[in-house]
Amino acid sequence: MTTFTRRGAMGLLGGAATLPMLGRPALANTKMTVGALRFTSHAASFVAYERGYFAEAGLDVEFRFFQAAQPMAVAIASGDADYAVTAVSGGLISLAEKGAAKVIGGALSEEPGIDGQKILASNAAFDAGLTSPEMLDGKRFAMTQAGSSFHYMGSKIAAAESAEMQFVPLQKVGAIIGALKSGQVDAWSIVPHIAKALAGGGAVQIIGDVADYIPDYQVTTVFTSADNAANERAQTEAFLSAFARGADDFNAALVDKTAGADAAEDMVRLIHKYVYTDRPYEKAAPSIRNGAMRINAGAALNTGSVQDQLDWFKAEGLVKPSVTMDTLVDASYVDTM
Amino acid sequence: MSDPDTDRRPAEAAAATGDASAPRPVPYRGGGYRPVHIRGIGIVTFIVLIALVEWGTRTGWISNLTLPRPSDVLATFGDLWTTGMLWTHMAPSLSRLVVGAAMGVSAGIAVGVAIGLFSVVRAGLVPLVAALFPIPKIALLPLFVIWFGIDEGSKYALIALGTFTPTVVSTYGAVDNVDRTLIRMGQSFGLSWVSIVRKIVLPGALPGILSGLRVSLAIGIILLVAAEMLGAQYGIGAYILEAGSLYDLERLFAGVVILSALGVLTSSGIGWVERRLLDWRV
Amino acid sequence: MELRLDGISHRYGDVEVLSDIDLTIPEGRIVCIVGPSGCGKSTLLRFLGGLEVPERGAVLQQGPRPADCLNPLTYIFQDFALLPWRSVAGNIRLVLEDSRLPGAEMGRIVDDVLARTRLTDFRDALPKQLSGGMKQRVAIARAMAVNPAVMLMDEPLSALDSQTRELLMDDLVSLWTRAPFTAVYVTHNLAEAVRLGHRIVVLSRRPGAVREIVEIDTPLAERRMGDPALDAQQARLWQLMRDEAAAADAELADV
Repeated sequence: MTTFTRRGAMGLLGGAATLPMLGRPALANTKMTVGALRFTSHAASFVAYERGYFAEAGLDVEFRFFQAAQPMAVAIASGDADYAVTAVSGGLISLAEKGAAKVIGGALSEEPGIDGQKILASNAAFDAGLTSPEMLDGKRFAMTQAGSSFHYMGSKIAAAESAEMQFVPLQKVGAIIGALKSGQVDAWSIVPHIAKALAGGGAVQIIGDVADYIPDYQVTTVFTSADNAANERAQTEAFLSAFARGADDFNAALVDKTAGADAAEDMVRLIHKYVYTDRPYEKAAPSIRNGAMRINAGAALNTGSVQDQLDWFKAEGLVKPSVTMDTLVDASYVDTM
Repeated sequence: MSDPDTDRRPAEAAAATGDASAPRPVPYRGGGYRPVHIRGIGIVTFIVLIALVEWGTRTGWISNLTLPRPSDVLATFGDLWTTGMLWTHMAPSLSRLVVGAAMGVSAGIAVGVAIGLFSVVRAGLVPLVAALFPIPKIALLPLFVIWFGIDEGSKYALIALGTFTPTVVSTYGAVDNVDRTLIRMGQSFGLSWVSIVRKIVLPGALPGILSGLRVSLAIGIILLVAAEMLGAQYGIGAYILEAGSLYDLERLFAGVVILSALGVLTSSGIGWVERRLLDWRV
Repeated sequence: MELRLDGISHRYGDVEVLSDIDLTIPEGRIVCIVGPSGCGKSTLLRFLGGLEVPERGAVLQQGPRPADCLNPLTYIFQDFALLPWRSVAGNIRLVLEDSRLPGAEMGRIVDDVLARTRLTDFRDALPKQLSGGMKQRVAIARAMAVNPAVMLMDEPLSALDSQTRELLMDDLVSLWTRAPFTAVYVTHNLAEAVRLGHRIVVLSRRPGAVREIVEIDTPLAERRMGDPALDAQQARLWQLMRDEAAAADAELADV
């Protein structure tokens, strides 16, 4: 029930936010660099680029690809990238605190009813009784680094189950997968397409959904340098509107599936230009479809979720206690929830 | 011609007038090109640099994204000290360094001596060591996690392998450089093979082995950070990595300063051992 | 014990260094081997002690070795070959440690040879603290500690200045006078040869062959610097060697 109304509301808001922007005169060919990871969750930018939404908004966009979210945040701070999408991490908050980065919109969201991030258990731990998140007490939970979104998710799940977990930093997703397969760590949480691919191969077991523990989780946000947010208003608005058009196409094709099978197929082919490029289309397609999570319409931002994440980072002593929502977020660009 | 010293004047004058019979001082030409130990300059360089950064960050000339304020780094270090977290991080790192380096160094010395003594071993292992040396040990970390487990085993293995190869190279070099006439002497007196190795080869190679140890242990400290990339919750390396991912420059620099101090400490430790064991050197 | 070289020939690669050498080292005498540089005299000494094997010919030892001899063929090297990390006494002890002598006996031998070479006061000094002459005396003491049948001395005084050389020659003479030992003494210095040799073997230039053997009958203890008879011997030896040395000097080094 609530799901439906919220989605409907968001669609409306997104549409409302987008429409007036479309009528604006295009900026004169503004060059900019957009940071991206080769993940399905970054599809909105790819769609906006491929379908010419950026060009229509007068933006000459060049992608710069990264291996992890962390260097992308640093690239924004150093001016090597102008806009990017990434999870709220300790690094991002620290950069915001230093006046280098600003969250300006929301991207990927957990939403009940849509397949979201999964909680995984290693086969060894599963066989030893870790069949549901209730048994996580005393287990080893994998994360890339302290202050990453994995750390946040693990902590929230542990808190909800009053479990004491050990958090094991492994730096890279690849290393985590290796450690999980060989039973070096017991549990992890990850986006659905990776989770399903692993579980489908029998390498790990899915034991729960992150959405059950962190409803309305604002997984990734759109951010830019503080300078862009404050002084390049026209450019930033143009970027967000084009990004939102890309998100709308993506949601319609793969999340809400309202655009029909052909549109879905086109969308998967478009994304395949950027994601899983090392695999043939037939193999990549299921992973791309599985990875489709809601990208907020109109790049709306769930400030409640961001506030909750910020509070957690502060409570863990990972960021300075002086950081406020105002330092982290510039809420003037998009609708908030 | 200048005459800085009045006493020399007659001689200079004589030289100027070309009077070859007058005595002239021979000019001094032998200065310079000799490193002289000047106390305190090193410390002053440090202090000036740190003061410059402190001033720069306070006036805003250096942004807080570029460098942390030294006084803040000091405060962070103070927090580490008072909360006892310093030891929480130091203890595992030190034990990893000590255990890993002890394994790598002792195996390295054994293999290096064997290479130095036996031509068969040399022919077999020198190419292997040359192949192992340039491998970035960090690249093998995931493999080590599978082989030795994600806990201390893989960390020991990484540091051990990292210190092993340079120790082998410096050890067999040191054995090669042992004065052959001493070995010939030992043989001419009919000393047994074991005696020659124990009493002539090993003590003779010790200076080379110890100076190689400086490099090996420095590499061990470098690898501490790499070793703590996977699965370490505590440790100086883990602390630095965490600070890096949080973009917390104060903690990052506090950690780096601790590593530097560790490097200086091991280097001076080896210096002390050298003074104790190698006082026979000319 | 007596040593005999029987038809020794040797080559290093294509270079023939020694050709058909027959030589006897009689017991209780010092045999000096002189010759121009590169004539193979040091190689000959290495054959005598078994540090190298000649290509043709044989090195033979004959007769009983001394009763408490630990190392019949003992070298004294030009560069002393002392372990820099061992004290004077430690360097001497080194050559006794493998002998399974009781510790007290070892101590007695060390004390004895130190006393005979007048080094007792320096027993705890490290080699780096000693002058070149002192170092060579330590090496001589070390050689005496194993009570050798034959001492093989490879230019033992060449690294020393001429004053020290005179002092050490006096030391060697008095050591031999008190207890005659058998020795082969390789040198390029004719003054040393006529002072210390009962028999002087002159080698020709490469390939080294025995050019002449000179016997000097004057007892060692009576030979003095500036003795006209010795000077005459030295001059004669120089005449023998002069042309060889000049020719050897003009050779191109092709090794």
